[in-house]
Amino acid sequence: MTVAAYALSVLLAAATPPPPATTSRPGDAPRGQPLSGKLLDERTDEVGALLRCPVCQGLSVADSPSTMARNMKAEVREKLAAGYDREQILADFEHSYGEFVRLQPPMRGVNWLVWFGPAGVLVAGGAVIAWALRRSPRSGGEKATSPLPRDSDLPSRDTLPADPRLAAAVRRVRMLAYGWPDGIAPKERS
Amino acid sequence: MATSSGAVTATAPRVNRKVLVAGLAIVLPLLAVLVANLGRDPHTVRSPLVGRPAPPFRLVPVGGGTPISLESLHGKPAVINFWATWCVPCFQEHGALVASARFLPDVQFLGIVYEDEEGKTDEFLRERGTSYPSLMDKDGRTAIAYGVFGVPETFFIDPEGRIVEKFVGPLDRGTILSLVAQARGGGR
Repeated sequence: MTVAAYALSVLLAAATPPPPATTSRPGDAPRGQPLSGKLLDERTDEVGALLRCPVCQGLSVADSPSTMARNMKAEVREKLAAGYDREQILADFEHSYGEFVRLQPPMRGVNWLVWFGPAGVLVAGGAVIAWALRRSPRSGGEKATSPLPRDSDLPSRDTLPADPRLAAAVRRVRMLAYGWPDGIAPKERS
Repeated sequence: MATSSGAVTATAPRVNRKVLVAGLAIVLPLLAVLVANLGRDPHTVRSPLVGRPAPPFRLVPVGGGTPISLESLHGKPAVINFWATWCVPCFQEHGALVASARFLPDVQFLGIVYEDEEGKTDEFLRERGTSYPSLMDKDGRTAIAYGVFGVPETFFIDPEGRIVEKFVGPLDRGTILSLVAQARGGGR
């Protein structure tokens, strides 16, 4: 089910035209307060951690030592110092690189599937299991069909098969196992 | 199944419809994705900038001189090539770009140097020759604005300043001519 949901989301993503431009556009006026000092350092790392380094394998701009990541981080820092807010900065990079540059897909369009698909699949899976358990013959009071016989269904130790050759073989095995060929030994009976 | 008489009774395998439907629900979307992407280069990420105005820049040419801006190119188609001297495919396409720029004087060719030193770039251009300016993108901002992932990447821009196509990898003359024709027509 999870694979199907994933495949469906990929299919929808491939079939859906790119999402409309985000609410923020490059060139818009800063929406936040200009930052400086320690707060500026912290926010730079925070926003850098949300941006994918385009030349790395799964690393954020904050974590990558590449020149490209350093340049992007410097740009983030400059924009935060100028008063741009986090969403404006992310939207600016998205304008150039597409949604790929965001390490956290925004909650819009088919991305809802990514955010809530797994939980939905989990709930659906639980419902299927509950439904299957309810339909199970065990809960319906019917005799369970097990591949193994119950103890009560097994022949007792002193029963012999009707086939004389097989009966002789059983007696030999009993002799070896219990030291007595006719099932339960007299000392066990007492 | 073996019977007491030793004969074997053949029973046709029964198809569980629910399992079949669940299996198809998993396999069919995967197949559809596979078919939809068969002809696509897995290394290519479609640029969101195609069809949009090219990001502005104002950069100084290698060796100094008057800065060149995007605005100064408006009115004629442009080919903007991001490259570096450490990039082997850039060596391969350099000849085709230089020859195409000579062959197409009404098209503005520009190189933008990506993560490289000016001295090395200058030396490269002296040795191999050029027919168009290359600009230094010292802080990498222009490459970021153009969504560059690596080099070489080339942008074809129409006379109105809109990006018509982005090409990833080394270009040959045939591809340059056909993409320039597209840029002349505004991508139509």
